[in-house]
Amino acid sequence: MTKSKAYFFPLRPQPGTRGRIRLSAKLRSIQLIITLSFTAVAVLVAVIVSSMLYNKFAKTAEENANLNMQQIIEQVNYNLELYVKGMSNIFETAEEQVTTSPSIDSPLLYERMDTLMSSREDLVSIALFTPQGRYVTGTPGQNMRVNTQLQSQSWFTNAQKTTDISYSAPHIQNLFKGQYNWVVSISKMIEYKENGELKRGILLIDFNFRTIDQLSRQVKLGKRGYAYILDSLGNIVYHPQQQLIYAGLKYENVEPVLAYSFRSYLDESTGEKRFITVRTLEETGWKIVGVAYYDEIVTTKRDLNQFLFWFLAAVILCAIAVSVFLSWLIASPIRKLERTVKQVGEGDLNTPINVSGAYEVEQLSRRFNLMLQRIRQLMDQIIYEQETKRKGELEVLQSQINPHFLYNTLNSVIRLAERGKNEEVITMIQSLSKFFRISLSKGNNIITVQEELDHIRHYLVIQSFRFKNKFRFEIKAQDEVLPLQTIKLILQPIVENALYHGIEMSPDEGLILISAELQDNLIVIRISDNGIGMSKETLHNILNGGSKSAGGSGVGVRNVNERIGLYYGREFGLTFESELEEGTTITIIFPAIGQNEGQENTAGGETS
Amino acid sequence: MKTKRLVLTLLMCALVWLTVTSCFNRAPVYITTNKTRNIHMIVKMNKGDYWNTVKLGAEAAAKEFNVKLTFKAPDSESEIDEQIAMVEDSINLRADAIILAASSYMGLAQVVDQAAYYKIPVISVDAEVGSARVRTYVGSNSYEAGQKSAERLINLLNGSGEIGILNFTSASLQDQKSNSASIDYGARDADEREKGFLNYAARYPNIHVVQISYTSSSTAEAEELTRQMLENHPDLRGIATLNETASQGAGKVIQSLGLNSLIKMVAFDSSPSMLELLQDGTVQATVIQNPFSNGYLAVKYAVEALEGIEVPERVDTGTKLIDLDNMLYPENQKLLFPFVR
Repeated sequence: MTKSKAYFFPLRPQPGTRGRIRLSAKLRSIQLIITLSFTAVAVLVAVIVSSMLYNKFAKTAEENANLNMQQIIEQVNYNLELYVKGMSNIFETAEEQVTTSPSIDSPLLYERMDTLMSSREDLVSIALFTPQGRYVTGTPGQNMRVNTQLQSQSWFTNAQKTTDISYSAPHIQNLFKGQYNWVVSISKMIEYKENGELKRGILLIDFNFRTIDQLSRQVKLGKRGYAYILDSLGNIVYHPQQQLIYAGLKYENVEPVLAYSFRSYLDESTGEKRFITVRTLEETGWKIVGVAYYDEIVTTKRDLNQFLFWFLAAVILCAIAVSVFLSWLIASPIRKLERTVKQVGEGDLNTPINVSGAYEVEQLSRRFNLMLQRIRQLMDQIIYEQETKRKGELEVLQSQINPHFLYNTLNSVIRLAERGKNEEVITMIQSLSKFFRISLSKGNNIITVQEELDHIRHYLVIQSFRFKNKFRFEIKAQDEVLPLQTIKLILQPIVENALYHGIEMSPDEGLILISAELQDNLIVIRISDNGIGMSKETLHNILNGGSKSAGGSGVGVRNVNERIGLYYGREFGLTFESELEEGTTITIIFPAIGQNEGQENTAGGETS
Repeated sequence: MKTKRLVLTLLMCALVWLTVTSCFNRAPVYITTNKTRNIHMIVKMNKGDYWNTVKLGAEAAAKEFNVKLTFKAPDSESEIDEQIAMVEDSINLRADAIILAASSYMGLAQVVDQAAYYKIPVISVDAEVGSARVRTYVGSNSYEAGQKSAERLINLLNGSGEIGILNFTSASLQDQKSNSASIDYGARDADEREKGFLNYAARYPNIHVVQISYTSSSTAEAEELTRQMLENHPDLRGIATLNETASQGAGKVIQSLGLNSLIKMVAFDSSPSMLELLQDGTVQATVIQNPFSNGYLAVKYAVEALEGIEVPERVDTGTKLIDLDNMLYPENQKLLFPFVR
């Protein structure tokens, strides 16, 4: 089936080559293009919007987290500052009491020291030492240990170096019997009176870490974040995992912290991103260090991430679904239309096209339907015309050797010959011979006007013998008309008609006038007779092919009209003017075509 | 045709997915603490500063790694059967992991194998156990600790004199040991310390280890043994004690008898009372371990083993010799007094 189709329609794309172009054709399909572009646009917009949102939110969240953390650390810093101030206040109180006391061993001082000691839970001990390291006095119940090595301890040496209050690094208090405590020592060189004698001594107050601990423990920086305190030398004063650090199991990167007194930075030394905020206590030089885990700061960021991720996924899925649906909505009627058109193209002109869908597509299908209808009409017309043409030509072919005419004419010749009218016989035979020659004219359908006029002249000459001079005829033609072309045998049926139906019935002598002239590039040939004329009904019948010319030579007037119409176009042909008892004039109008163009035209006409 | 479109769509989806996901970075990796794990820690004894410190270390790690720590210990180091029962109990409770400080090297071996049979990882802490199924050992090198102790004591005695050793493997088991010499029923760490000490002392011909006594971890018993030792050997110049209770007992006796100028003593471990003895000169030196680290690391490695992370076969947390001179070094302060609060 396909093979024969391919054979019949070589220009049509063949199935064999369709496979290769299918994919690219697929890619160019409306549905895919719409789907892809719609999805792309939707995704792009979603991605851009969400990334913008993400950046904005993430930045804000991060800033907030940082700010929050800094505020917390500031708060701790403030609290600690207050605490340290409290410590120095206590120290000053103790100092005042010692210096103002008239004698260092007065029981009043002893009592005051005791009161001071019990006023604060975080006080471990108050003690006064001579610059040589001898214990002078202190809170009650303190027994010195041996081997304390106090002269080498930092609080002792610091007090001797400066006159200001000095804060020691955290250390073990090993001076007094009882427990070993981790303490921070505050010490200062002061003056005191002993037995009326002014002496110098080092006042020492030890604080344990309880309050610092309490202050720092409250700090919560996310789930894992924490704060720790360093002294100015980098010793850890407080750390939530102090034990682990002291046992060497954990490590805190303090070097970058020590370099600055006020700083926030991102630390990656542990392999994890940690946000570190440093604040420094003025008096002690301690640094409060807040450590927040970056991934916790950005928890909101991650949440947002997740949300946006699912949001994007949903949007993309929706976009794909919607675009697939939309493109299907648009493409499917088009595809249907295409399939129908294909069917039509394959020859089934009767396929009705009823595609519903978008307005444009519906409109397209309606127009296509109209076009199809028109094509069907034209096809029918062509079929009809072709048939008529073939029939007409057949009739012409028959009229070329009209046996009846020949028989009649030969009878006339015989009669003339019997009468011995040789001259006339010769004229008759000559005319007959020429008549037939032009009739056949080597099978050409197109002849010159000259030949056509000659042909009708010979015919009239022959007929005038037959009608025994019952009529006259006159043929006039402009010279420029003569070489122009015409279809042959268009005059003879009309003249025949005029003779048999017009003049033969008329009692008067007939007159047939034939004139050919050129008007506005049209050849106008008029055949007029003074015969009986035609009634309107007859005229009508002739034009619509209702009647056949009874006893006519065979080629009807209508046939002439048809042939001219088919050959030159429907606007050309015959016009009739007729009046009863007056005569009939038939005008033939067709375009003037020269010999050369005529040949071209003929050639074109034949192939088309 | 349909499938091609499907494939194309999927491809596009994948592409979009990739572009989208590439914008998001992965969450950082650390030991996940979402799941609470049951880890049972069974040590030798439920009293004494040393074990308390081990427990604190373990608790610190438990808090950090979201572990529900069950701490169990018999009343005394010599109660091996009790300890075995505790391990069996933990196996029956299907603990996620067991941390064990074995009171007896061989005595606990079988029950450890049993735990391994139930796919419970066993971490050995402080004292090893005679099983190949133990995942890791966290503790100090006891042999080396014994040598350190000997080195210092011999140094203090200027290389000559009689030495008494107070160790802590229970006497009752010593009887068994004498019966079946091939089986080592003592605690691994005690034996190793003693071995290290004796091997070092053997290099000095003028050093005579005249007596080795064993206490079953009670201070009173240690005091009694020290007195006996001093009575039996009036020429005794040096005492080496190889664990905390023995050290405290011996220290008390020497302090009360005022023998600190006559008798040199090298103790073991660092309880606050021991440090006081060290400061007042009763004890000349002490060999310290890292009980806090032991406890912490044992739990940490137990968690790592449960996570499927490769753990080292042996973790040496180290020993250190502390004397009066270096006890106030900042780094030693931190080791000696890990408890700030």
